[in-house]
Amino acid sequence: MGGFDFSNHNRNAALHAQGVPLPKATSTGTTIVGCLFDGGVVIAADTRATSGPIVADKNCEKLHYIAPQIWCAGAGTAADTEFTTAIISSNLELHALSTGRKPRVVTCMTLLKQHLFRHQGHIGAYLVVAGVDPTGAHLFTVHAHGSTDKLPYVTMGSGSLAAMSVFETQWKGKLTKDEAVKLCADAIQAGIFNDLGSGSNVDVAVITAEKTTLMRNYITPNVRERKARNYRFPKGTTAVLNEKIIKKEEISKYVTVHELEDDSVTATAETMDTS
Amino acid sequence: MDSLVAQYSRPMHAEEGQTYEDQQELSQMTPELSLKFALPPVASSASWLRAMTDDYSNPNCPIKIAHGTTTLAFRFKGGIIVATDSRATAGNWIASQTVKKVIEINNCLLGTMAGGAADCQYWLAFLGMQCRLHELRHKRRISVAAASKILANLVYSYKGMGLSMGTMCAGVTPQEGPALYYIDSDGTRLAGNLFCVGSGQTFAYGVLDASYKYDLSDEEALELGRRSILAATHRDAYSGGFINLYHVKEDGWVKHGFSDTNPIFWKTKLEKGEFSNVTADLV
Amino acid sequence: MAALFSGAPPQGGPGYSFKQTPTMAPSGERQHGFYPYTDNGGSTLGISGADFTIMAGDTRSTSGYNINTRYAPKLFKIGGEGPDNKGARIVLSVVGFAADGDALKERLDTIVKMYKYQHGKPMSVSACAQRLSHVLYNKRFFPYYVHAILGGIDEDGKGALYSYDPVGSYEREQCRAAGAAASLIMPFLDNQVNFKNQYEPGSGTGHDLQAKVAQPLPRDTVESIVRDAFTSAVERHIEVGDGLQMMIITPNGVEETFTPLKRD
Repeated sequence: MGGFDFSNHNRNAALHAQGVPLPKATSTGTTIVGCLFDGGVVIAADTRATSGPIVADKNCEKLHYIAPQIWCAGAGTAADTEFTTAIISSNLELHALSTGRKPRVVTCMTLLKQHLFRHQGHIGAYLVVAGVDPTGAHLFTVHAHGSTDKLPYVTMGSGSLAAMSVFETQWKGKLTKDEAVKLCADAIQAGIFNDLGSGSNVDVAVITAEKTTLMRNYITPNVRERKARNYRFPKGTTAVLNEKIIKKEEISKYVTVHELEDDSVTATAETMDTS
Repeated sequence: MDSLVAQYSRPMHAEEGQTYEDQQELSQMTPELSLKFALPPVASSASWLRAMTDDYSNPNCPIKIAHGTTTLAFRFKGGIIVATDSRATAGNWIASQTVKKVIEINNCLLGTMAGGAADCQYWLAFLGMQCRLHELRHKRRISVAAASKILANLVYSYKGMGLSMGTMCAGVTPQEGPALYYIDSDGTRLAGNLFCVGSGQTFAYGVLDASYKYDLSDEEALELGRRSILAATHRDAYSGGFINLYHVKEDGWVKHGFSDTNPIFWKTKLEKGEFSNVTADLV
Repeated sequence: MAALFSGAPPQGGPGYSFKQTPTMAPSGERQHGFYPYTDNGGSTLGISGADFTIMAGDTRSTSGYNINTRYAPKLFKIGGEGPDNKGARIVLSVVGFAADGDALKERLDTIVKMYKYQHGKPMSVSACAQRLSHVLYNKRFFPYYVHAILGGIDEDGKGALYSYDPVGSYEREQCRAAGAAASLIMPFLDNQVNFKNQYEPGSGTGHDLQAKVAQPLPRDTVESIVRDAFTSAVERHIEVGDGLQMMIITPNGVEETFTPLKRD
């Protein structure tokens, strides 16, 4: 297993002591929730990623795959949630291969807490772990320092208080699947509208014994309205001091060029909306 | 006789219930351009202010005050040239590109602005007022030496309170001829022939010192002022925008434009072959 | 002369140099228990035209990740009649610390009203602008934590706009954005109002290409620029949102509009 390279640690500590600010990590301000229901578990998340007060990503994915029937919602430092879940996902897959059984949610939770505790909170991952295994449906929270909780409904992230207020007023035992999905979506929306660190859309994942359904952008309550003006610049607006045309033949000296058919659209993966 | 006049000539509003002073108190709390300032309720207000506003000692200070500049002024046979850039920065943010850093105190006295923009604007306006009062009291214009000393004494009385200004007073009076003084918020006051002030001062000195001589013609002097500011805006990130040029002569100052640096830069480069380090060629 | 203008740029300047960086910033040498300021977020902007000035601001008030209220106006009419300031021709916008903003507005309003009672005529915008500068500078050693913008119609009937730093340095401008999203809005305004970095297509080649000259924009254009500036700022800044308050100052009076913005 890889591990971390600490060779720049002393240099960075010295710089920091001199007053150089540390680089700012993208953090997922975030509201994430989870809720058990009869026959499964639901987790949900908002889709805003922030860097300080700036929205870095308006539609990011905070629901991470760990195993087919185990999913994880992450808050905290974006890179840490991403890589921690990926590492544990691969370890769990190896574990499942060597035991020949489906992985259990507790196993996943234990691997996560051991990994995070080992790094004493320096890995800023705050996670909601949910899944269904042969022992039933389970829901956990894992904090960056390694502590865990097992509860019927959980919230985490900066919007956790707003979301928890929804659970504390509306949650009841014996929820149906649809009720649980609705409750989780409402809790996330409470975070989206009342917590500045959370925003944009609601992602939901429903895990039952049979299957996992990921409902990406389940609710989109914050669609951008059309701009009042058109900002397309007429050709020639930008000053050009010099130009150089590189022909296809010249490029092929450095890279391999594949010819496309004229009507093929595979060349542009995404067309920019210039209106 | 004077006492009789004073006794029988009262302003109209003195008859009213409230005195003028009462009304002033009501409407203004403190009179305009006053020397009364609100102070924070802490023991050491100066260091508190520094913690809140000085981005040099604390880059995360909550209140960013506009800073940064290149200004220059020099004496030559035809009078005094005063030139400045026009950029104001607050931390790394360019707050404005169109600041007027030459302050017209009266029609033959100029002040320049470096350091805190508000400090310079306020105190040079205050100086303008004092100069006018001097004129009214003594029936002749104030000398540049006296005007600069008013400012120097004033900032010295606020020493340690956190004022930040580096200013030059340029003017021509019959008794002094062309006179140039440098005053800063430490209390320094220097008479001299040539000064550059601000974060870009070194770049301006480099060009100015190389070609300065007292016998410059008016055109040469204006061009030298312009070229020195251009050099500073080119190399100093905290200077830029427009070049503000003034020529102070015996019968008052003349303004020689507020011109964008960018076209001047390209003109200087293409027509005179200077700035050959900058190239538009593609590799 | 040395310390203040030593040529070393503030904030450490370019690069990671041990020499140029400030040496005492986060190490807690200067701890002050007295911290009377809160940043209440939000953004304001003003654009002046040929015979009008538009002032705008969002109506969200924040502290940290919380929303205090979704409707806290940042635009104030100055020097009208009665509690709703009827007949006012000057608008002040303040962003930063809301309590300081309110205190500043109250002060300026009283001054402009007293001016009218004492002189029997309304205060001109230029006089009001200079007075505001002095009000701010009077607290030079205990500043108002605000960025103010003042808008109105000048003595020639043209749109007038003045912008201020927290301690009162001021300047008349065509357009200005202030507050949390100023760094997002101001470059947009430079490009769309003053046509910075835009050239006249086909007016020449290379260095002969002529820059597009800024002229006063018509009112509906300015209004849509303001709307687009705010709907875009809402997308990318978490402290901006909820509602857009606009005041359009013309020689005939002040028109006020309110448009909802996204609330996330």
